[in-house]
Amino acid sequence: MSVQRLRFHGLFRKYFLVLFLAVVIPLAANGISEAWFGYRDQRARLDQLLGVEARSAAARIQGFLDDITGQLGWLVQLPWTGELDERRRIDALRLLRQVPAIVSLTLVDGSGRERLYVSRIGLNRTESHTDRSGEPAIIGARSARLWYGEVSYYRGSEPYLTVAISGNRPSVGAVVAEVNLKLIWDVISSIRVGQTGYAFVLDSPGRLIAHPDISLVLRGADEATLAPFQAARQAVGPTSAGFATSHDAEGSPIAVAAAPIPGPDWTIVVEQPLTEAFGPIYAALWRTGVLLLGGALFAGLLAYALARRMTQPIRLLEEGTERIGAGQFDHLIEIRTGDELQRLADSFNAMAAELAVSQERQERIAKLKRFLAPQVAELVDRKGDDGVLEGRRTEVVVVFCDLRGFTAFSARAAPEEVMSVLSEYYDALGAIITRYAATLTSFSGDGLMVLVNAPVPVDEPAVRAVDLAVEMQVSVQELIVGWRERGYRIGFGVGLAMGPATVGRIGYENRFDYTAIGSVVNLAARLCASASDSEILVDATAAEAVKDKRHVHPIGMRLIKGYDEEFLVYCVGFTQRPQAS
Amino acid sequence: MRRRDALAWLGGAAAWTLPVRAQSPAMPIIGYLAPESPRPFDSRLKAFRQGLADAGYVEGRNVEIEYRWAEGRYDRLPALAADLASQKVAVLVASGGAPAALAAKAATKTITIVFEMGGDPVALGVVDSLSRPGGNLTGVSSLSVEVSRKRLEFMHDLRPAAPSFAAAVNPTSPTSGSQVRNLQAAAEALGVRLHVMNASNEGEFEAMFLAATREQAGGLVFTSDPYFAFRSTQLADLCFRYSMPAVTQSRDFPAAGGLMSYGGDFAQSHRRAGSYAGQVLSGAKPSGLPVQLVTKVELVINLKTANSLSIAVPPSLISGADMVIE
Repeated sequence: MSVQRLRFHGLFRKYFLVLFLAVVIPLAANGISEAWFGYRDQRARLDQLLGVEARSAAARIQGFLDDITGQLGWLVQLPWTGELDERRRIDALRLLRQVPAIVSLTLVDGSGRERLYVSRIGLNRTESHTDRSGEPAIIGARSARLWYGEVSYYRGSEPYLTVAISGNRPSVGAVVAEVNLKLIWDVISSIRVGQTGYAFVLDSPGRLIAHPDISLVLRGADEATLAPFQAARQAVGPTSAGFATSHDAEGSPIAVAAAPIPGPDWTIVVEQPLTEAFGPIYAALWRTGVLLLGGALFAGLLAYALARRMTQPIRLLEEGTERIGAGQFDHLIEIRTGDELQRLADSFNAMAAELAVSQERQERIAKLKRFLAPQVAELVDRKGDDGVLEGRRTEVVVVFCDLRGFTAFSARAAPEEVMSVLSEYYDALGAIITRYAATLTSFSGDGLMVLVNAPVPVDEPAVRAVDLAVEMQVSVQELIVGWRERGYRIGFGVGLAMGPATVGRIGYENRFDYTAIGSVVNLAARLCASASDSEILVDATAAEAVKDKRHVHPIGMRLIKGYDEEFLVYCVGFTQRPQAS
Repeated sequence: MRRRDALAWLGGAAAWTLPVRAQSPAMPIIGYLAPESPRPFDSRLKAFRQGLADAGYVEGRNVEIEYRWAEGRYDRLPALAADLASQKVAVLVASGGAPAALAAKAATKTITIVFEMGGDPVALGVVDSLSRPGGNLTGVSSLSVEVSRKRLEFMHDLRPAAPSFAAAVNPTSPTSGSQVRNLQAAAEALGVRLHVMNASNEGEFEAMFLAATREQAGGLVFTSDPYFAFRSTQLADLCFRYSMPAVTQSRDFPAAGGLMSYGGDFAQSHRRAGSYAGQVLSGAKPSGLPVQLVTKVELVINLKTANSLSIAVPPSLISGADMVIE
């Protein structure tokens, strides 16, 4: 049963696995491919987005500087003539008020001498005529019109930038402005990349110029503070193509992109936390994961239900065949699936019914075999009809035989000896009866009765019966030799008679015997009783039937018990086989 | 769509449980040390609270403020600072000038101090450097002290013919020495004489104006000092009575009828101080918060007063002014 159970379990698992995988694999393939393409799309989108953000932020920073230089341009339009013009002074002061980032302004004439200096903090100077033509700002402005200096840190903290701009002709001179870059904060802090992303500006040596967290900028050229920002710029690389990943000061991963600010040769870097940048794809992944899980769960339930549905009938079939195999032919396998399995169950049921019929017949035949010769039994079996066993009147030859002196022997001898003698005796007789296809009707103790020509008629029944009797005598006489050697005084006599008798089955329920009823049976029994050892007595009818074929001779009239008159009794002559010894 | 709604609902449910936890610890306390009384500090406090709000803190909701007012008696500042320090406040804000900052510094070495002053915190020995303050202090400095020479320059622009000017100095101020040196150098550069007048309390104001008038000073230039700055109305009245043109650091002065002011924008400096206090509450270390300098220095002129003093304000001044009261 456990093996059966295991096999059943295996089939269920197989079905379950196949059904489950059939749903889950396409689902997973779809989910994974969707996630992969989503990831690629998101990367591409991020590439584009951060690129645009970087360029726009760069434009805004450039705008901040352009605004300053544009304002400064107004101061270098008129040529210097003679004394300092009051208008020019007012313009400079007004500019200071206009552009809060400018800390001080220096106006230089065509020959490079300082004519006016105005400051928010320090004292103003007019007409100092200091020669400033050798300063890099003036040289730079003269050669390139617009010149940006290096960023310097005022008192090691605030980033300052010197901007110089010259007019379109030498006579208008140049203006040099000190710009406090802390004011870029207004611009940089308004730049938002996504939800929490931001931008920062580095100059060409990699110092922080602008950052939404002003404290970082005010720390000046501090290596530890600058390291993550420089690393971020390094990650993007000099080509500024696409975004790269780096880590911020807290070590969290970020997506960064950069764009150059061409004027002062700065770089603006925009960064966005990777978790946010990939937020949509993470959300999609999460969604896909949940869907996959849900799908797998659903598929599992579905597969379980289906596998159960599929294996249930098989299990019923299995159980049914087991019961049928155990002989329970009336068991009905109930499967109502309306498919091949139902058909299979139906044919199993039909088979069980046929088996029941067949077994019934087998049992009947087995019973027949008890008294019919195997050949006859086979015949009846083949015909599938035991009509031959029906009662009827027919000509039969009845053969009786028994042992002489057996009763006395059995009273004396040990049971084992008795059984051994009987066993040898019946072994010998049984083989002969079978060979002659005679019908054994009954036996009891040492005597038995055999019919010839019933239930199946044979050619020359008398001859056959005589031959049968002769062979019986010969075989038993051989046994008797052995028995006598052992000291048993046993003999064997046979009687046979021919005549009409009523043959058929008699008995009740399952206990049936085939037998013959009639005077011929009595006669044969009496003949047997009167036969002495190694004698075969035959009645006149049988003797008449074999007289030309077998050697029979009358032995005279005998009075047979139960009969009023004497009969002429014949004896069959036979020769004993020579002793093997 | 429904799925997303469900997720949003879940997220909302999670967020809803958070404030309950966030509220459980006691609210942090800011100790606020100021040299004056609450009334003149009204506008400053407003800016300070704005700065706190920038950092995400609102008084009464997620932060409490413990105020200590010296009521103009600067000698009381150390005791008040010590009192706040003993209360174990989360952050100590020393507002309204160097005296408060120095008192706070003396009171504690462990509680973070956020100062707001007009002087140079490095020169005053409050911090070691602007970019790396070190210790337990950081804060904001307006440029008021540094620009006192500009006040003399503006006064000179206003009265170019005057040969001498008076400088009002509070000798008890820790920055007075440097300011006087600064002014004297400027006077030399401008070619004018400078009369230094001392006044360290309200009782000496009158005498100071008398002296300035006696010296026929072209105008009175006030050095940057919180004591002067918070008495703008009183000074404006005295200027009016003595017909003395004067310039101070605080915009309250021209607003109260004084002639002119030039100094750092206190709204900006107090707001930054508030923002720093908020950042400290959020866990920032003072060493990571560089001292901020206020970038905006504003010039305010009251033309009405100029007219009543029969002073013609030159266009260069008017064009450079951030605010002109007509």
